[in-house]
Amino acid sequence: MRYAVKLIIQVLFFIVFSWLMNHMVEWLHLPVPGSILGMLILFILLQAKIIPRKFVESGSDWLIATMLLFFIPPAVGIIGYKQLIMSAGVQIALVITLGTVIVMLCSGLVAQRVAKRKEESSI
Amino acid sequence: MMMAAVSLLITVLVYIMAQKIYRYKPIMFLSPLIVTPVVLIVLLALTRTSYADYNTGAHWLSDMLGPATIAFAIPLSRHFELIKKHAAQIIISVLTGSAAAVASSLWLAKGLGLNDKIIYSLIPHSATTPIAMNVSQSIGGIPTITAVAVMVTGIFGSLVGPPIIRLFRIRNEVARGILLGTSAHGAGTSKAFELGSISGTVSSVSMILTAIITLFLTPLLLGH
Repeated sequence: MRYAVKLIIQVLFFIVFSWLMNHMVEWLHLPVPGSILGMLILFILLQAKIIPRKFVESGSDWLIATMLLFFIPPAVGIIGYKQLIMSAGVQIALVITLGTVIVMLCSGLVAQRVAKRKEESSI
Repeated sequence: MMMAAVSLLITVLVYIMAQKIYRYKPIMFLSPLIVTPVVLIVLLALTRTSYADYNTGAHWLSDMLGPATIAFAIPLSRHFELIKKHAAQIIISVLTGSAAAVASSLWLAKGLGLNDKIIYSLIPHSATTPIAMNVSQSIGGIPTITAVAVMVTGIFGSLVGPPIIRLFRIRNEVARGILLGTSAHGAGTSKAFELGSISGTVSSVSMILTAIITLFLTPLLLGH
């Protein structure tokens, strides 16, 4: 019960903070999304120990674990593009799927190689 | 009001049921990320409900993507020493991946004969939604199509990421995080946290870097 209350308060903190950041980005006409700015500012506040990590830790863990659910409504939004899917859906799907696999291989294999080289040089 | 409450509730319920099914039979096509939207689309079609009506309630869930992204700050701070230690590896790999993302979608889309507006809409698909929409707008794409492409990329990436990691024997935890965060933004990062907190943290850093690089590099690469 106490954990549930703590969790709700922490999640509410993230919601309010996110709302503030979105407005700040709008006011200042910044070219970054509020969520990315919010992540950086909260990170700085945590590093500077202005906000102790344990005050936001449970809320953060819950939000990250639940995040995939938040992607569902925009995914359902695909139904608005029936026409486009009929006419070019296969090509678009190919660009997205092949493109994503290419990005994974480029970034992942380069990263793996750099890691191996580091291991070898440290021996 | 009633409609909003019902669509919110049904989305959560279908998702929870899909998660239960996936736990019994963990095969890719039964992933909650595929099953839930499909079931909901069928339900909307059967009840003749428009997406706009559905979204009056469901948008409460997608609005949580902002707070959830901010929540990545905590693992970032928790593992900051680790990130500093691997900074060079992360930057080099994410740069390679982001450049590959722009180049591959440009060439694939051109090769498949898609029109310019669609090509420009697909180019930033590996970046997180707000950045991708922003880039799409500035290079002449259609931001809403970009949003759908980003969505599909995230779902696809979080599904094929783990099999690709196994297939190509990516054993390094930092490399796993880079792979998922660079290719599949927040959805990939959420998957990376299931693999481990180091992979998850590195994935959030890679996601941010990808967003920043895509924002500045795409117009340059396209000569706009």
